[in-house]
Amino acid sequence: MEEHSLTFGAHLLLWVFPLVLVVLVIAEDLHDRLKSGADR
Amino acid sequence: MTPVEGSTLTTVAVVMVAYLGVLLFIGWRAAKRTHGGEDFHLAGRSLGAWSAGISSTASSESGWVTLGAVGMTFTYGVSGLWYAPGCLLGYLVNVYLIAPRLRPLSADQGSVTLTDVITRRWGDPRNVLRVTATAIILVCMMGYVAAQMTAAGKAFSSSLGFEGRGGYILGVVIGAAVITLVTSLGGFRAVAWTDLFQGLLVAIALIALPLYAIARLGGFGALVQGLGAIDPNFLSAGGGRLGPVLWGFVIGQLGIGLGYPGMPHVITRYMAARDDRQVQRLQVIAMFWGVAVFYGAGLVGLVGRVMLPNLADGEQALMAMALQLVHPVLAGLLLAAVISAILSTVSSQLLVAASAVSYDVVEKTLGQASDDRRSLVLGRWTVAVVGLLGILVALSEVRLVFWFVLFAWSGLGAAFAPLILLALMRRGVNRHGALAAMLTGTGVTVAWKLGRDAASNPEIFARVWWVTLLAAAAILVLGQLARAFDAADRAAVVAAASLTVISWWLVQQWGLHNLYELVPAFFLAGFAALAVSAITPISLEERSE
Repeated sequence: MEEHSLTFGAHLLLWVFPLVLVVLVIAEDLHDRLKSGADR
Repeated sequence: MTPVEGSTLTTVAVVMVAYLGVLLFIGWRAAKRTHGGEDFHLAGRSLGAWSAGISSTASSESGWVTLGAVGMTFTYGVSGLWYAPGCLLGYLVNVYLIAPRLRPLSADQGSVTLTDVITRRWGDPRNVLRVTATAIILVCMMGYVAAQMTAAGKAFSSSLGFEGRGGYILGVVIGAAVITLVTSLGGFRAVAWTDLFQGLLVAIALIALPLYAIARLGGFGALVQGLGAIDPNFLSAGGGRLGPVLWGFVIGQLGIGLGYPGMPHVITRYMAARDDRQVQRLQVIAMFWGVAVFYGAGLVGLVGRVMLPNLADGEQALMAMALQLVHPVLAGLLLAAVISAILSTVSSQLLVAASAVSYDVVEKTLGQASDDRRSLVLGRWTVAVVGLLGILVALSEVRLVFWFVLFAWSGLGAAFAPLILLALMRRGVNRHGALAAMLTGTGVTVAWKLGRDAASNPEIFARVWWVTLLAAAAILVLGQLARAFDAADRAAVVAAASLTVISWWLVQQWGLHNLYELVPAFFLAGFAALAVSAITPISLEERSE
């Protein structure tokens, strides 16, 4: 039986993009929290 | 779809009734805390991060996310997922650029609606901006509300087991009546709280169902093998498209995101946030919700394609999987999630349309300044009347109204998104530029959309240029009769008409039929704002008029 796999672009679209986005959102939030903690 | 057992339908119906009961309870609780006009239209600027964040996202994603988005990946495989980065980029702009600037600006201005923000930002001595913005919002929102009520009616009648025309009517009346009552009683607060409840339901459903279904299928590897066996193109990001068709598709899907900053029912949530801290927290909440819901919907479509290859309509994949895969109680909750996605948008749009009438037209334009109590009563009655109109249109299925829906997302997005971005991030735009942007965004959206459909409807497309000129002439005459326009306003109308006709010519000459109309309309509206502002400078005396 023929073996199928996702193409490189499909990997990027399906899980790399959302994963990177979530990591960036968390990093930005942590940065904000640390900044507001330091300001206080 | 295989027939569903009667006992399953009964269980689903019980869950549906419980779901409607929760909505009514939330509406009643919110009504008890709503005491005046600003309370009704903006929840007294008291929303926390969760209700502001989830409400903003849930109200922007209508039944499209549980039906249309699922259908995209069901039909096109992984390449159908391009809407997800498009929408998430729109979320990024909204929560990181718009929200932190709009909340303090609207609080300082005392603005209650999107129209209020625009008119107070640039001044509007003769109500030109307010009337224009309100007209665009009303036309787009009324069509939207009626279309969503139609979708809710269909979803209700199929999940409650109602059949035929009578079943459809009952479905529309039940769904629309409940959400109109909730919105009318509790105003913005009820809408935000019901959005929070419904938004969480949608997210849980779209996370849990695909995970369960993938496990049943034998894991992610089995999903990939199943998709590849149906069509190897399902496993690529381009889906077998090549050249201009591929680029038109990808840019168009990414372009969906350009509309988010212009959606009045979305960005008013940021205006209602309690303080800057809530805005900071809602950024994370909204982004997580977006990732979960868009990718969850995409996965449901992909799994549905493998599990239910004979399903005729991919948009029904979620409902079909719910009824066939899980316990009836869970199926009821999943179907409630489908309806939640629709009703959370209906309530938000109903409130925006009602605020446009009661606040922007009656209170502000007609100058019927009223006390806080009268404003509340006026708001409630307007919601009830607009809701009733929506129900009547949904039941009579007036075709003209549904025609407007085709332009609603792009029309609102192009008319307001560049304007809001410019209002918050750039000086150098004046009220004439703002007028040009709203008219250009709306005009180009219609011209481009008709241009894309020209092959199937060449007669309507051929009329665009002279209908545009007639519309511009009518606006100029009305402005003159009302003594509202000065020379710069007239220049703004002429510029908008010219750009609309140019876009009509472009789509025809360059064969740009693959490009989604929001993309050119957005950029041309932004250009119009800057160009008209540059040639119509406003003196300091006029500014303080």
